[in-house]
Amino acid sequence: MLARISRRLAGLLATLFAASFVIFAAVYAAPGDPAVFLAGGRDKLTPERLAQVRSQYHLDEPLVVQYGRWLWDCVHFDLGRSFKYSDQVADLVTARFPTTLQLVAYATVLFAVLGVGAGILAAVKRSTWVDSAVVGGTTLAASVPSFVAAIALVSLFGVQLGWFPVSGSGEGFGGTLHHLTLPALSLALGALAIISRVTRQAMADAAASDHVEAARASGVPERDIIRRHVLRNALGPIITMCGLVMAGMLAGTVVVETAFGISGIGSLLVGAINTHDFPVAQAVLLLMVTGYIVVTTLVDVVHPLLDPRVKEARS
Amino acid sequence: MTTTRSTLRRPLVASLATATLLTAAGCSGADTAATGGKPADAAKLKLSATTAAANGTLDKANWLLEDEPDSLDLDTQGSSAGRVVLTNVCERLYQLQPDMTTKPFLAEKADTPDDKTLVLTVRDGVTFHDGSKLTADDVLWSLKRHADPDMEQADEFGNVKSMKKTGDREITIRFKTPDALFTKALAGDAGIVWNKEQVAAAGKDFGTPGQGDACSGPYELKGWKSGDSITIEAYGKYWGEKPLTRQVVFRWASDSALVNALKTGAADGTYAESPNTASALRTSKGLDQHYGPSTASLVLIPTARGGLKDPRIRRALSLAIDRTGIAKSGYGGLVQPWATPVGSGAWGYEKPEFEVAQKKLAAAAPATPTADDLAEAKELVKEAGAPTDPIVIGTDSSQGRTVVANAVRSALQRIGLKGQIKTVPTAQFEEFYSDPAARADIDVLVGDWYISKADPMGFYDNGLSDSSNNWVGFKDATYDKKVRQALSTLDDAKRAQLAIDVQKRFVDAGVWISVAQVPTALVVSDKLTGPPASQAYLYYPWAAELGLKKG
Repeated sequence: MLARISRRLAGLLATLFAASFVIFAAVYAAPGDPAVFLAGGRDKLTPERLAQVRSQYHLDEPLVVQYGRWLWDCVHFDLGRSFKYSDQVADLVTARFPTTLQLVAYATVLFAVLGVGAGILAAVKRSTWVDSAVVGGTTLAASVPSFVAAIALVSLFGVQLGWFPVSGSGEGFGGTLHHLTLPALSLALGALAIISRVTRQAMADAAASDHVEAARASGVPERDIIRRHVLRNALGPIITMCGLVMAGMLAGTVVVETAFGISGIGSLLVGAINTHDFPVAQAVLLLMVTGYIVVTTLVDVVHPLLDPRVKEARS
Repeated sequence: MTTTRSTLRRPLVASLATATLLTAAGCSGADTAATGGKPADAAKLKLSATTAAANGTLDKANWLLEDEPDSLDLDTQGSSAGRVVLTNVCERLYQLQPDMTTKPFLAEKADTPDDKTLVLTVRDGVTFHDGSKLTADDVLWSLKRHADPDMEQADEFGNVKSMKKTGDREITIRFKTPDALFTKALAGDAGIVWNKEQVAAAGKDFGTPGQGDACSGPYELKGWKSGDSITIEAYGKYWGEKPLTRQVVFRWASDSALVNALKTGAADGTYAESPNTASALRTSKGLDQHYGPSTASLVLIPTARGGLKDPRIRRALSLAIDRTGIAKSGYGGLVQPWATPVGSGAWGYEKPEFEVAQKKLAAAAPATPTADDLAEAKELVKEAGAPTDPIVIGTDSSQGRTVVANAVRSALQRIGLKGQIKTVPTAQFEEFYSDPAARADIDVLVGDWYISKADPMGFYDNGLSDSSNNWVGFKDATYDKKVRQALSTLDDAKRAQLAIDVQKRFVDAGVWISVAQVPTALVVSDKLTGPPASQAYLYYPWAAELGLKKG
């Protein structure tokens, strides 16, 4: 187990290193010149001033040298100072990360509960109108892009009915819950179809296995069969999929944050890219990639604990 | 030398990009008003500098910004979001009034023993928010900080020979040549007086979240939660009048989120930086809108490439543009067809004279071109020998600019020329302003501009032969001479005459082609009133006058 975890850790670091270079190069290659934003007002955009700004921020050095400088600082826990805000990048990110994390956590709870619930319902009532309704309904929900869902939800429940606040992330547990309900729902809608579909299929597979047949033949009540044998055996793929979708969400809150006026990591990233705020864009992207890698690794580590068969197969 | 522009643009850039994204869905809650409501009649838009005075005090106001301020140190990073907040917290040596005039402020008195000397007497009895006394040393230190070449306001001090403390409460500033705009700069960010000790103690972190404010204004900075909100509160020992609103909490949101927050009453008000925001809220219940003079304008900036190199073609284009159409379909009627490149907020003195002069120039920049205008334009094109290559119009994909670009193309068509639109990503658009290489393949830029000082002469240096903003290579020795003369004429009436002359030369030559002026839009709960509606909101403690309509 330990060896496996350390192997995973090494792989994680290697992936991060590769990702960090790609991110650095991509942000660097984006169109537009950060010096224009750094120089200040338009009347200050003389070639001399721009050259001075470039050298001040080391923008005139070759890409690899800049990357080395950045990596060196990163390793020393220094993410630098934002070009746009004079603040430390670490402070900017720490201030906004909890909001995005809460949003993703809330959305995960929503899509896990609703998605798995719908999937179970469809599996149990297989080939009935309930099954078709679940499949149809979730497919429809998944086909609506999150920004359209966001706009529709905010204009109905926020502006027309006034049930939910339309911007900000709220204070305290109740306030946060209230503020983040609509954004989390718009994020979760797209995931519903995938999770319910995976649940439905995993349960169907589990239900077809021999031991379920045997249990059924020996007269175990159907309710117990589904709970103890079918659902339990189906948990592996369900959790894996929930983990993957959640990890994907960490990088996908941008649009929803903008629509609901939430200052999270996503809107920080958009602002940073628009203003060529390299240090911030790089840090946020790296954080998103790290989040994704960590969550998927965790799922991988947890999977065998849930399903002894996986463990046996691997060892 | 004196124009500042990018500060307003930065937040705008980000918000417009997302606006396009969100409105692509076609059914945004924010847009129902914009599409459902009638556009305002641009010609009848009433601009007033102030709103009715408030009668009652207010405990707390929730105010919206279009973006989080970059920094609350306006010397290192000046953005309008930061200014809207900080203008209530920090005070300047001069103060811009809602009617766009300036008066001595933290400098209680200003004398000019000769044209090249300015003697400021520092106001007595003023304390900073940490309780320490504001001294002449703080003033001198602040001025020197502003003048540092790395700071945003350094260019305002280009003409300064020396700054010295010449008495307990006296600072003497000497100039190389008389400088008519210097005291106006002191009403802007170049005149902020910082508490030397506090700024030094905060070091590099000054102006970032979690730091104090180092100022003496009616409000003190209570807190800045990065990514969440900024709170300011009335300062108990303020030397001047007590503010009507005790606490203001600033949050930020863009586009539809901002519009929705105001619609649902989650926020009490905002100074809308984009006319489209105000337009989307025009028919909303529970909100008042006030429009005020600003220096901002929509302009076309021609380059020395292709057909527009010829001033006759530029004049012809100006005659053929449907400015009213642009105002209506691009900006919900909240901009006004205009004949000069600076808005009426620049008229900080001799207002009637400037008004008459602007109207006179309208013949060359008609709101809606008549048959005569078009005939004259065609004649000009013929005279110049019609260029055959298409005229390339540079723009980004924001709503307003797209409309302007299309209006320019159809104006060109109307006078027998070909137009071609080149759209670049918003992130790249700003480079057109700075990099001649970036604009090497466009003939005209769909631009916008504002100046930070209420003086048209703050703009016309852009037409000087050696100005980096004079893209068409306009060269006129008389123009250059008159601009320099105006900039060193301290007498307002005389300077106004020179400015009007210079303005006519600039417009006649079509160095830039003006399209519309962009008024300031204040959107506020219909229970509240009091703050100025003019561009002074960037430099005047507007929150102190915000209060309930009924006492």
